[in-house]
Amino acid sequence: MKYTERKVAFPRYAEYNAALKYLLENGLGVSCIVPPPLSDRTLKLGAKYSPDFVCTPFKITLGSMIEALESGANTLLMAYGICKLGYYGELQEQILRDLGYDFDFINLEVYNTGKKKAFIDMAKAVNPRVNMPKCTAVFFEALNMGAHLDEITAEYYQNCGFAADRHAYQAIYKNFISEMYSANSALQIGHAYREARRAMLEQKIEKPANPLRVGITGDFYTAVDAFSNANVEQRLADMGVEVHRWINVTNRMLRYPGEKNLNIKIKDYCRYEMGPNSTANIWATKDYAERGFDGVLHVKAAACTPEIDIMPVLQNISRDYKMPVLYLTYDSQTSDVGLVTRLEAFYDMIAMRKKVFR
Amino acid sequence: MKKAYIGIDVGSISTKGVIIDDANNILVGEYIWTEGDPIGAVKRLLSLMEPRFDKENYKIVATGTTGSARRLIGTITGATVVKNEITAHAIGTTAFYPEVRTILEIGGQDSKIILVENGVAVDYAMNTLCAAGTGAFLSSQARRLGIEVEEIGDYAAKSEHPVQIAARCTVFAESDLVHKIQTGHSKEDIIAGVCRAIVENYLNNVGKGKRIVSPVVFQGGVSKNSGVVRAFEDVLGCDVIVDPNGHLMGAIGAAILARSNEKRADFSFEVEHAEFKVREANCGKCPNNCEILCVYKDGKLIDAWGNRCDNGAISVG
Repeated sequence: MKYTERKVAFPRYAEYNAALKYLLENGLGVSCIVPPPLSDRTLKLGAKYSPDFVCTPFKITLGSMIEALESGANTLLMAYGICKLGYYGELQEQILRDLGYDFDFINLEVYNTGKKKAFIDMAKAVNPRVNMPKCTAVFFEALNMGAHLDEITAEYYQNCGFAADRHAYQAIYKNFISEMYSANSALQIGHAYREARRAMLEQKIEKPANPLRVGITGDFYTAVDAFSNANVEQRLADMGVEVHRWINVTNRMLRYPGEKNLNIKIKDYCRYEMGPNSTANIWATKDYAERGFDGVLHVKAAACTPEIDIMPVLQNISRDYKMPVLYLTYDSQTSDVGLVTRLEAFYDMIAMRKKVFR
Repeated sequence: MKKAYIGIDVGSISTKGVIIDDANNILVGEYIWTEGDPIGAVKRLLSLMEPRFDKENYKIVATGTTGSARRLIGTITGATVVKNEITAHAIGTTAFYPEVRTILEIGGQDSKIILVENGVAVDYAMNTLCAAGTGAFLSSQARRLGIEVEEIGDYAAKSEHPVQIAARCTVFAESDLVHKIQTGHSKEDIIAGVCRAIVENYLNNVGKGKRIVSPVVFQGGVSKNSGVVRAFEDVLGCDVIVDPNGHLMGAIGAAILARSNEKRADFSFEVEHAEFKVREANCGKCPNNCEILCVYKDGKLIDAWGNRCDNGAISVG
């Protein structure tokens, strides 16, 4: 396929598609299709064509790929990772081919060689005539957008539960996200980011001196993506909780302190690497505990092996620091009744604890 | 006129109701089967409670609902407090047993463990996704063996050599059980084995990683089963307290929560004569296609929920 005909899509992942769209359109010179927001339909489509026991993000990304193809995409991109994610691309391509779709598939796992040249190969796979210096510059602008997205998102969930005018506060956040999807230059990104910060600061936040604080950890897809975790951050924040989440693309990819540096901080609990985000999640949980958080939610997809493996470690941290950890598992069910019950109970518990112990 | 408070706990299998006074005395308590019809069950529950309630001296000033149908029942009874069953159980139990450290609860479809320190819940866990090791399993196995659920305790007591039954998964446990039946083990031994399997399953799944400290209180429908209680005592190596009102604890907790909340609204037994209808509507404004539930009282819309965003909001009134 000629690169001028390419309409590239990447499955939905939180709001990072905005940064990817920016990179594809401005840096790689191809058009980008952003799949529709994740919905029950996405999940149903994905679950229908996926192996039953595969981890849930596989199903959601597969569903999102189908929706992207329906929206006119002719080239699909898939990320790679250290867990089962490394096999996602290959299996998903085969499933989609068996379903009869016609498309180019660029599986980034192929370029996961650890060499610096790999980035050039990835770019060339999308567009063989890519202007590499320009693409590199845009790449850093896109990373910057990702960092802004993560920063504003973190700010939003830490304060939205206390905003005097919650609708207005949420509108600022939503508006910022849509600005990111339509941004075409670094100038626009910077402007929208500063605007959002300013507007958020102007809102009245009625936060008590010692609010309830809950940290969120979990697998890299489910904990970060609001649809996948049934909006757990918003639900918790709405009860009047300051919600913190260390894990996001910026912290994990760009500002990652490094396996060794984190390992040393958690050496009392575990002595070797257990999986892609395990060291980070164990460290983050311990860090929340040391900072006196009221609780931690461990948000994972069903069948996520690395996250299942760290549960005993989190239980030890929970016991030593007397900080409750709620373990939530998400599968392809769409009813949120069970989640609401557990979250409400968790909130009641940490609220009552706080009155007695502090 | 003295004040009273009503708590209603509508679970998947059973519906519980209590009326308490200011000193936690249970004025009326009732326990019936839900039979898949929560609204009908509540109406029946109230018609059973009404004649036993002393209307001359007491007035119900607040209503609390809990259990998986808490929202629906809260709407139709005009509840002042709608609380999840985990909090309700913790509140109810600590009111009667302030020293309790561990609350084990096994109900019809779910099971939970609540750890308590200084009278406050500090940690809890609830079974996920799967109803293994709950009352539903116990009653289906009792049916397979041709005995009533209520008799399980007596049978288990007679057993001398409880059989080993794979406890990990209900489906595997069931096939294991069939094999044991066919190889000629006595009913008593098999039932004692089932009781033990439930306990092991509970401790492996719900209680995993939790430190179980005495005093332990065991409640929920399954706590009425002396076979399971004995199995718990064997495995944990400590006494397990079963309150005679353990099966009502969620409802008691809801009533206590209603009392401690400042909201007040007189409760009326009229509810049992009103006509309630629940209609399901699909929003259709986005691909989520949320199922919105509309509750009608005598043909008038009184509440609606199920929408995930403002697009599907239905204004009531």
